[in-house]
Amino acid sequence: MTQGDTRFQTSADPSANERRPMTDVSQRIECQWCHSQSAVGSRSCETCGAPLDIKNLVSDSGWKEAPRLRDMTEIHFGSSTCQVEGEVVPVAEINLGQGDAIFFEHHVLLWKEESVAMSVMQTPGGAKRAFAGMPFVVSVANGPGRVAFSRDASGELVVLPLHPSMELDVREHAFLLASHTISYSFIRIQGLRNILHGGEGMYMDRFVTNQVQGLLVLHGYGNVFERTLGAGESILLEPGAFLYKDSSVTMDVEQMKLKTGMIGHTNLYLARMTGPGRVGIQSMYVHHGSE
Amino acid sequence: MTSAGTTYTCRWCNITSAGATTSCPGCGAPVDIRARVSDSGWVELPAIRDMARIQFGQSSAQVAGTWVPTVDMNLAPGDSVYFSHHVLLWQDAQTQLGTQPLKGGWSRMMAGLPLVMMEATGPGHIAFSHDDPGEVVAVPLHPGTALEVRENHFLVATQAVTYDWAQSGVWFTTRNGDDTEWHYPVGQYIDRFYAQSTPGLLFLHARGNSFVRHLAQGETILIKPPSLLYKDPSVGMQLHVEYPRAGAATFWRSWGNRYLWLRLWGPGRVAIQSSYERMEDPGSGFSSTSGHTEYAW
Repeated sequence: MTQGDTRFQTSADPSANERRPMTDVSQRIECQWCHSQSAVGSRSCETCGAPLDIKNLVSDSGWKEAPRLRDMTEIHFGSSTCQVEGEVVPVAEINLGQGDAIFFEHHVLLWKEESVAMSVMQTPGGAKRAFAGMPFVVSVANGPGRVAFSRDASGELVVLPLHPSMELDVREHAFLLASHTISYSFIRIQGLRNILHGGEGMYMDRFVTNQVQGLLVLHGYGNVFERTLGAGESILLEPGAFLYKDSSVTMDVEQMKLKTGMIGHTNLYLARMTGPGRVGIQSMYVHHGSE
Repeated sequence: MTSAGTTYTCRWCNITSAGATTSCPGCGAPVDIRARVSDSGWVELPAIRDMARIQFGQSSAQVAGTWVPTVDMNLAPGDSVYFSHHVLLWQDAQTQLGTQPLKGGWSRMMAGLPLVMMEATGPGHIAFSHDDPGEVVAVPLHPGTALEVRENHFLVATQAVTYDWAQSGVWFTTRNGDDTEWHYPVGQYIDRFYAQSTPGLLFLHARGNSFVRHLAQGETILIKPPSLLYKDPSVGMQLHVEYPRAGAATFWRSWGNRYLWLRLWGPGRVAIQSSYERMEDPGSGFSSTSGHTEYAW
């Protein structure tokens, strides 16, 4: 227990405990999605917006449904807030505090106040990014002021508070915005088969936190589910459904030959994800093999 | 409180259960809601609740998600299901995958239908989803019953259900110069599912919301052809064309101011979906059809 943390404090005087009100303002409740703590009585997690008064939905096979954020839920990061608006194609509206900034791909920008200063993040490998179909420019919005983002399809916003020293790999173009405390880079997917048949393109976005917690907001098509794989545990995914993973999870595309007649066959490619770590998937995707 | 001995008969699939759960174990429909019927007689299929379980044999299926729901199956040893490969979402490494032979591969390929029907055998988990926002519709098939489903809406079926496909029988041709162009308003083929001697379970994906109605003997209804989701084999269908009133400018009729409908007649069930792809109509006059009726206002 750290100094100043009063979560488990009790008074040595029994009568003082009896006089304590039923709701202790120092008590905290833990969010089952992001494991951050919020004040007792909060309906939504202050860090990721997940409803705190609704039980987690977990399928028999262990997939946890990403929490459905209530319309107008507010999330806090740094001196800024993020409000999630809408349900079919949700909008993330950011109220940036002085000195805070967020970065994003420019095509997800919905609107902004004129006072919000824009700049461009220096990203390495510009030519490679352009060649691979990734955005050449990663834009930065600097506070104070309001700016809002949305994608062009029905789905869910997935708010992932990244605790210090975390590394997360995200399918390209799936990230909506991230706070400036998160380091952004991109990694090349290893192996020609993974690139050609993995359905994720040549690169994945990598987000890393150092000493300070950051906020990462993704957009998943359809519904989003997360599962935590144990060390060595593996699962086979349709590559188009992959949304994010901890960097500790490895991905290898496997080929299956499916016989279609006397001499014909077609190939099915599935991504084998091996733990330990989290894997996130989206239920709506374009099947890469049928396009 | 549910007392011992209480039974509940689902109004959607007519399967009797103890009624102790919030969803019908046969089709996943909520047990505690009233039927939503429009004034015109369409019954809204109740959306399967998030995480509802449906039992079939020793295996079960769980429907997860609300925008683009997934069907997560827990297959018992030896139990198997079949599906089109493009709806596979994920699977356990232990689940065995194989293929089922399909007749008429060339015709299916030319019609844009999946060439490969895959089979998954338990034990293990496997999950499926379609790439459109909508609903998962679970249709239990009793022995001796069949269902005709519009192509590309089939998600997964149990082995007790046999699969076949046939010409939809609804088409028209137009002339483009010296070429004849073929048009299939409900698709060139229609999927047929049949439960022979044991009950089977069929999962479909509907875009948007789905509605069903029972047509009486001889009762007819006109629907937009791409909105058809499924129908009983006893329900007939044919092309119907309407020409709106165009005043003195009746020549409009010859270049495309018309409505293409699918006329359905009972007896039997017909289900539609509220979201559907745009139907291409070149607007030029028919050179031949599979048989149609027409009406000029």
